[in-house]
Amino acid sequence: MASRDAADSPRYVPRRPGAAAAAPKDGAGLLSPRFRSAAALAGWDEESVLLAALVVEDTPVRESRRKRRASTSSSAGGSAGSSTRKRRSRRQSPGKIPPVVLALDDDDKPDAASDGKSELKDTKEEEEKDVLVGEKEASGSGEKAAATGNLPCMDQLREELSCAICLEICFEPSTTPCGHSFCMECLKHAATKCGKRCPKCRQLISNSRSCTINTVLWNTIQLLFPSEVEARRTSIESPSSCNEDMNHSPPRSNNFSQGGHGMRTRNSNGSFIAEGRTRSSYRTFITPASTPSSNTSGNFISTHGSTRSSNSSNRRTFVPASQLVNTRSAVRSDQSEDAALAYRLQQEEFMNAFEEPEQERQPRNTVSTARDNLRAMASRAIRLRARGWPI
Amino acid sequence: MSSSSFPTSRFPFAAGAGAPGGGGGGGGGGSSVRPWGSSGGTSVSSSGKRIQKELLDLNASDCSAGPKGDNLYHWLSTIIGPQGSPYEGGIFFLDIVFPPDYPFKPPMVTFKTRIYHCNVDSAGKVHLDILKDGWSPAFTISKVLLAIKDIIGNPDPYTPLVMSISRQYLTDRTKHDEIAAEWTMRFAR
Repeated sequence: MASRDAADSPRYVPRRPGAAAAAPKDGAGLLSPRFRSAAALAGWDEESVLLAALVVEDTPVRESRRKRRASTSSSAGGSAGSSTRKRRSRRQSPGKIPPVVLALDDDDKPDAASDGKSELKDTKEEEEKDVLVGEKEASGSGEKAAATGNLPCMDQLREELSCAICLEICFEPSTTPCGHSFCMECLKHAATKCGKRCPKCRQLISNSRSCTINTVLWNTIQLLFPSEVEARRTSIESPSSCNEDMNHSPPRSNNFSQGGHGMRTRNSNGSFIAEGRTRSSYRTFITPASTPSSNTSGNFISTHGSTRSSNSSNRRTFVPASQLVNTRSAVRSDQSEDAALAYRLQQEEFMNAFEEPEQERQPRNTVSTARDNLRAMASRAIRLRARGWPI
Repeated sequence: MSSSSFPTSRFPFAAGAGAPGGGGGGGGGGSSVRPWGSSGGTSVSSSGKRIQKELLDLNASDCSAGPKGDNLYHWLSTIIGPQGSPYEGGIFFLDIVFPPDYPFKPPMVTFKTRIYHCNVDSAGKVHLDILKDGWSPAFTISKVLLAIKDIIGNPDPYTPLVMSISRQYLTDRTKHDEIAAEWTMRFAR
């Protein structure tokens, strides 16, 4: 092999300078210096080369010395051998690219992962609910709502899944070490106001466990009672619930935490896929969230801060900040609020100009951009091949 | 002897407490009073929401309770004297006041009807553990009423509010029951 390389390489070296002239005849020479320089000017040759190296192992890309050596060794196998190889690789390459793309196209399903996180302390009732959920999912997603309403033991489930403190369906349930589940906020309030004991059985509850959401239970609740969960969510987000925060709870209209829930639950519910993708996270950060009850316009803004693009469950429409200027200035012009608004406007402009970096903030978006990049690279490679790239 | 221990007034407590028609306290509750949500202000707080929910759930149980008037946080409740006890046949009215941070703080329950009971003093205060330190936010008002009903039927003479009654309960049970039945006939009917 090495001796063959040594024998062949001199044959290739003189051919390179004349490659431009011999371009129509010699397929291998088509690519070399002229095309390479054009590609270098275009600035995308390295990507396509990388892809070619990934997809087609022995494509004679003569970009670098390493590649040239590879091509030399491939073409050195005699005319007949090299031609079959080329044909095979050509036949393989279209079949080889799609699997890569397909694998990326598949939606990542953290559902299974979150299910895998199921706590061992799941009570019997929760298992029963999971079974029910499984049945419901099997019956088809289109009939989900109907199936939810028609479940015979729905009242029992409602009772079992409601929080003993607020008597509503558990919102972000948290399970105590003794196995009782409450809304996380309710449990926190109970712990601060009534001591760190389980409200149901008076067992001591440790701090760490009471602050985590029981993911399985929460997903189950979201599947079983989507309307209640949504109503609760909007009531928490809406400014009218600000008097609920007299018990010094952190304002839950904050979209950072909401985005976290969205990430966790987007596959189970489907309505939160787009959550947090917009500039909402920026906006809530900028709006004066510390004064939710001071004036209505402030609430207005924070409401719009939670606007999500293409979120079907959220019916609020997006109002640009420029419109908000009028409503706000009519009510009260606090200096700090004005500054915040100006900053917001600026931020919005910035976001309009550069949509990309913001999207990269989301892990899902990084995946999608990576997918797009790979797609573009693949299409470039195909285009190159169609133009007569020697394979 | 026993008649001399009777209070002179038939309704020694707050006016109107014994009136059965007072504020939709009897039974259904929900129909006669205007909707709760519109009573307070623009929105209902978490404690108000919970009280509303309890009100809806309560209609099914045997103890009756409901808001006195427009105020969601001020209820009137009735407990029927448990069968087999000297309080049988009596209807006892109770006043329930919910604190603003209700599920996390116990409601204040007072008897509006006089009762000869060692755990209820002359002002109507009830000595019940779950209404003080033993309160848990998981309790509902129906559970509280059930506990009160239970303590009416089974007095606890070891944590008394009225020492004389508890002493009599321990030493002369028949006499105690006699007086209790007499008070029930007199005040709770």
